[in-house]
Amino acid sequence: MMLISKSITAFGSLLLAHACYSAREHSTLQSFRAATSAALTSTPAAATSLPIDIAIETVVAILVILVGLVLGTSSLRPIQWREWAGKIEREGEDGFKDNNGEVNRDYMGNPFDFIEGRPNFVDIRKQRREFTEWVKSQGEQQK
Amino acid sequence: MPSQQELDLQISPLVQESLVHNSRTLHNLQSLTASLFGVGAGILGLESYSGFFFYLLFSLVTTLLVYALRIAPTSISSSPSAATAAKGGVLSRYFRSPFDFWTAGLTNGLAGFILTWTLFYGLVRA
Repeated sequence: MMLISKSITAFGSLLLAHACYSAREHSTLQSFRAATSAALTSTPAAATSLPIDIAIETVVAILVILVGLVLGTSSLRPIQWREWAGKIEREGEDGFKDNNGEVNRDYMGNPFDFIEGRPNFVDIRKQRREFTEWVKSQGEQQK
Repeated sequence: MPSQQELDLQISPLVQESLVHNSRTLHNLQSLTASLFGVGAGILGLESYSGFFFYLLFSLVTTLLVYALRIAPTSISSSPSAATAAKGGVLSRYFRSPFDFWTAGLTNGLAGFILTWTLFYGLVRA
């Protein structure tokens, strides 16, 4: 996604630069012609507007850059608490990555993490069993 | 007695970080594109009302593109619940008021637009 948006934007900028240069050349040519014709015939040359192809190129370039930039924006986040929490629950960190694939700085993880670790619900016997098994396995390894 | 709006906020609370993130994303895009439109208007040599009309038109196109490319596709991937659909569609998932979304771009980038507009007008027609 990022590569597509960057290449579209680069292509559009190239078009825009070309249009800008063309318009500049056109206006210098116009003023030059006006100066020479004024010197020769003393009739004021009519100020012609920009050629239609440069105008079209400018507008097309702007639209192309626009598409590229819009595609490059980071994805929006749901503002409703329930949808936001549901997205975290479903997608985890993957839903909060920016365009470079890094997790966003203000991502703070599951808002219901404290429920997962309530001390009232800790299974002490299970933890003790696991601990004794671990001690036994350590002892067997040392033998 | 709390008002209806306060009750709504208590029943379905909002995430401040997401609000800030969404509006900042939109604001960044709009101030960037506004200076781009200024370049275009300067190249085309627009003057007075036609330049501002150009800006108006293109900033509307920007918001339309954001809506079409970034917001509308998300409604297909995640099934919209009946509550959000009743309240105003996909847009209310990401922004508090649709009016803000459609019109905030006009004021966000106006200064940048005029800056680059005058600059490129002068550069091209010097």
